[in-house]
Amino acid sequence: MRILLIEDEADLLSSLAKALREEGYAVDTAADGEEGLYKAWEVAYDAIVLDVMLPRKDGWEVLRHLRESKKTPVLMLTARDAARDRVRGLDAGADDYLVKPFDLKELFARLRAIIRRAVGQTLNVIEIGNVSIDTAARRVTLSGSPVALTAREYCLLEFLAMHRGETVTRTALYEHLFDEDDDSLSNLLDVHVSNLRKKLGRELIATRRGHGYSIG
Amino acid sequence: MKFFHSVRWRLQLWHGLLLVLALAGFGFTAWELQRANQLGRVDRELEQRMGIIEGAMRPRKAPADNTPPPPDKLRLTPREQDLFDGMPGQIFYYIVWLGGGTKGTTSASAPVGVPRPERMPGPPAFRSRGTFRECFHDTPDGDCVLVGRDIGDELVGSLRAAWLLAGAGAAVLVLGLAGGRWIAARALRPIADISATAAMISNGELGQRIRPTDSESELGQLSRDLNNTFARLQAAFARQAQFTADASHELRTPVAVILTQTQSALARERPAAEYRESLDACQRAAQRMRGLIEALLLLARFDSKETPESLERCDLSRIATESVELLEPLANEKGIAVSVETTPAHCMGNAGQLAQAVSNIVGNAIQHNRPGGSVRVAVHAEAGGAILSVTDTGRGILPEDLPHIFERFYRAEKSRAGGQGHSGLGLAITQAIVDAHGGKIDVTSKPGEGSTFVLRLRSEIPFDRAPHLGQSKSL
Repeated sequence: MRILLIEDEADLLSSLAKALREEGYAVDTAADGEEGLYKAWEVAYDAIVLDVMLPRKDGWEVLRHLRESKKTPVLMLTARDAARDRVRGLDAGADDYLVKPFDLKELFARLRAIIRRAVGQTLNVIEIGNVSIDTAARRVTLSGSPVALTAREYCLLEFLAMHRGETVTRTALYEHLFDEDDDSLSNLLDVHVSNLRKKLGRELIATRRGHGYSIG
Repeated sequence: MKFFHSVRWRLQLWHGLLLVLALAGFGFTAWELQRANQLGRVDRELEQRMGIIEGAMRPRKAPADNTPPPPDKLRLTPREQDLFDGMPGQIFYYIVWLGGGTKGTTSASAPVGVPRPERMPGPPAFRSRGTFRECFHDTPDGDCVLVGRDIGDELVGSLRAAWLLAGAGAAVLVLGLAGGRWIAARALRPIADISATAAMISNGELGQRIRPTDSESELGQLSRDLNNTFARLQAAFARQAQFTADASHELRTPVAVILTQTQSALARERPAAEYRESLDACQRAAQRMRGLIEALLLLARFDSKETPESLERCDLSRIATESVELLEPLANEKGIAVSVETTPAHCMGNAGQLAQAVSNIVGNAIQHNRPGGSVRVAVHAEAGGAILSVTDTGRGILPEDLPHIFERFYRAEKSRAGGQGHSGLGLAITQAIVDAHGGKIDVTSKPGEGSTFVLRLRSEIPFDRAPHLGQSKSL
């Protein structure tokens, strides 16, 4: 899952980016509204965390321009907690709203929720045959016994599972699993897929030659 | 009890009382006039008849035979006699007492037992006796003539008139009371309005206003004044609420930094360098909060009527030079050249506060300058005080921002960009300090070229101004 974080307070931006990366997200950052909007247009993010008070273009403007063409889930972060600000945010097309100061755990939970909703999932736990993926705890079990996955492997599995039944192209996988600073080589993807097959069974991930991968 | 204390009922009570007094006065006078009028008519009739009787008593011709006059001196013609005795139900009568005290002649219509009036020489006199009215006259001969009349009918009529007047009076009273009630209700309706509005406002509906009535009346004027007061109060409350919201808003971001940093750092074991990084970020956030809290406290002190510490004669040029020296490191860091040109200029004030005001302006000029720009600080004496000007070569202030830059938490740039010490309160504090000193601060700016702040302070603080030091403009 790839997330865009738009926040002008440098200390908050760096610590949030770090915490989100540790949660397994690929994170891009932007320190002002214009840069944020440019990135949001260019890349298919799974979610955007958007601060309201931003230089150059404030959060409202970024949201308005973004919604002209994109449906990317947006979580607004703001220091204003008046009800009318919240209403304004949600009416302007934000998917959720979080008031500063917030708990990291709540931010993570809300992010999971808006990403889940965007792909039509309602539950945190995805069951595929005898494989069960708990997206909140980031735990995978095979026939009830836990399976140890690396962060990348988990992200790959989670993304494919979220888009169950669809063929996910390699490009899409690169776009959603790696952030702008990653310089992973393309064959790494095949390594991750092969590792997942070893751990969870060969038939879990199907290869559509020339197209990509899919989970049934 | 409340009933009798109500202005409306008291008004009505007094109105009713006055109405009763006026009606009673008029009614009684009218009745008295009518009665006196009627009695006067009766008295004239009696006088006429008295004339006839007395005329009949005078000898018609001198008795030629020198015989003593007959005991009955009265010789009435039959027509004259008819005036007293002619018809049944005759109401006039006469009685004549002769000089000797014996009763002379009496008309048949006279009631029995009419007492002889006291001797009273002079013109005819009148008396009322029961239902009779009598006119009597002691003639020079020593006789007494009395002409009387039954006025029973007139008395009954007069009583009827009294009842009629009382009835009409009562009707007018009822009408008057009803009218008074209507007028009082109408006159007091604005007061009920005012009181209802005030009650709603005290319940927190600050947006309520009194409905405008006819604006020329005293109550209309009162409503207008009250509405103005309410509007000013509401604006003050809104400002205060905005200020509190802004202050809490400003505190939320550093708290968010601290929470995020600590929660993230504590989530797992980390190398020491990462902990140090987190602690550094927390320290920066805490220092920002400290700066903000100090600024808020300072403003709160200006808002309350706490008088500033001692006022003394100070040299604005020295204050400016020292402030610039303290800002030297910041200027060097930003690569800004600061030049100072001063001549001694004295003003009255608190040196510490003035230094803060000056460094806020100079600090802004350095912060908002372009790289490699310059700041020129000049201090001169002018008539009645000192003048300081700070000119920068920054990006300037947009015309739409210019009127607001001294407002609390106003930022031309809608972000917290810059971080360090930028609470959005610096210029508001400067303004508060300058106001407290009875001074003036002006700003001119050309976007893209730079801004000039001009601060004027007086060498004498007007006497009436001194006790208000520390008073703020808002609230």
